[in-house]
Amino acid sequence: MHLAYLDAGSGSLIVQAVVGGVAGAAVAAKLYWRRLVARFRRQPTDQG
Amino acid sequence: MVIPDGDLRAEPGSFRDPANRVFHAGSDVLRALDAGAAADWHALAGTDFFPALMAEGKVCGTELVDPAGPLPSDGGEWAAVLRHERIPFVSHPYEWSFAMLRDAALLHLEILRTALAGGFTTKDGSAYNLQWRGVDPVFIDVGSFAPARDGEPWAGYRQFCQTLLYPLLLQAHLGLDFQPFLRARVDGVEPEQMRRIFGGARRLLPGVPTHVHLHGAMQRRNAAASTSDVRAQLRAAGYSRELALATVRGLAKLVGRLDHRPGASHWSDYQRTCGYTGQDRVAKERFVADAVTAAAEPDLVLDLGANDGRYARLAARHARYVVAVEQDPAVVDELYRGLRADRERRILPLVMDLADPSPGGGWRGVERAGFAARAARADVVLALALVHHLAIGRNVPLPEVVDCLTSWCAPGGRLVVEFVHPEDPMARRLLANKPDGLFPDYRPEEFERLLTGRCRLVQRLELPSGTRTLYQVMVGG
Repeated sequence: MHLAYLDAGSGSLIVQAVVGGVAGAAVAAKLYWRRLVARFRRQPTDQG
Repeated sequence: MVIPDGDLRAEPGSFRDPANRVFHAGSDVLRALDAGAAADWHALAGTDFFPALMAEGKVCGTELVDPAGPLPSDGGEWAAVLRHERIPFVSHPYEWSFAMLRDAALLHLEILRTALAGGFTTKDGSAYNLQWRGVDPVFIDVGSFAPARDGEPWAGYRQFCQTLLYPLLLQAHLGLDFQPFLRARVDGVEPEQMRRIFGGARRLLPGVPTHVHLHGAMQRRNAAASTSDVRAQLRAAGYSRELALATVRGLAKLVGRLDHRPGASHWSDYQRTCGYTGQDRVAKERFVADAVTAAAEPDLVLDLGANDGRYARLAARHARYVVAVEQDPAVVDELYRGLRADRERRILPLVMDLADPSPGGGWRGVERAGFAARAARADVVLALALVHHLAIGRNVPLPEVVDCLTSWCAPGGRLVVEFVHPEDPMARRLLANKPDGLFPDYRPEEFERLLTGRCRLVQRLELPSGTRTLYQVMVGG
């Protein structure tokens, strides 16, 4: 992966979506929504 | 191309991206590329935007050299070699003024925007990707270009914030000189530091809520998430190249609006208040012009303590390149703006205190070369109305002042130095702040003895006012 010699910083990547206007904020919201959903999906399996 | 053994020197500032490495061979600046970087280079050279950027002088001149020839044998697996245009004098961002750093940042963003539109990106976003040809910024890190991947934000954003945007915010919003921040840390200012500085109502200043506070918060919350996971999540959430372009446009708009215009400082009015008569000035200008002309179109003139650049401009009429060093960032900023307005392309203004010149920085202290290592090749050194500031103002022993000034001359180079007598009003003003008798050696006869003991006297002139003497000496010639 030739682009990744630099640690771009996870937070620094996400914040670029947020500063990219309405469309960017929508992408960030979708990312967080998916993370949330993934967490709820995982939990029952973990407990089971 | 054949590179003789021992003639190849790896550039100490080029190791972070293992895909390519810069070498010096004689006066050539070469960049060795591995197979992936070589493929990227061929793709880049075939685009419309890259040759156009190079033709406009925005990216340093670059050509492929003899692809079939032997490659640098430093242990790297190199597949191709590029030759770069030579930058006349390498400088570091902590030696630039506010407007210089801002123009450098704007050029970086313009290059990124152009690259993104052409299907490429830059792998990083560092202020060290930029250098100067006089007062024109130039992007030097050709190895940074790589094909863009859809759905990926800019990998260089954090570096851009730390080494370009944050220093600009500190100066534009708070009037803090950014140079000490950049000189102290090669990676620039951290969001966490910025967050503490920009507390309270300051958090609402332009660019601060998002690029400082939100950025810092996102970093803290995602500290455990890997960048490859986050990249995949962003791609899946629909991050697009249009969004990347919008971010770059937003950054450029923000940076373009940042400005800093300080009030007059002690040094900004120095030429008018420094006590020269008209006759003194005419004689001094003729003396300096004679010395620079005698050096027969010197490659490099250093004007130390350049102030408003009067003598740097004079030298530039007869020299290929002049580096004008001045300690007051506000004065350098004015000089830079003035030179740009006049389209004077042969003078590079730099911010530096000569009693505390840039040390070596970064890895092993050599990644960013210190000033002495870069400067010690000048054909002409101008030190006008400088010695009394070092010897009296900063207590530097007179022999050390002479040693230092001569050490920056190439063998056979000329030093033009002004000695301000202790009776001169400017010297008296400095002496009044120190106890009587602290500088018994600060006398014209002693200065002349030290100078002629080390160098060959070419010309000597007492200015009409009688309290200043000019010398032109040849160093090691």
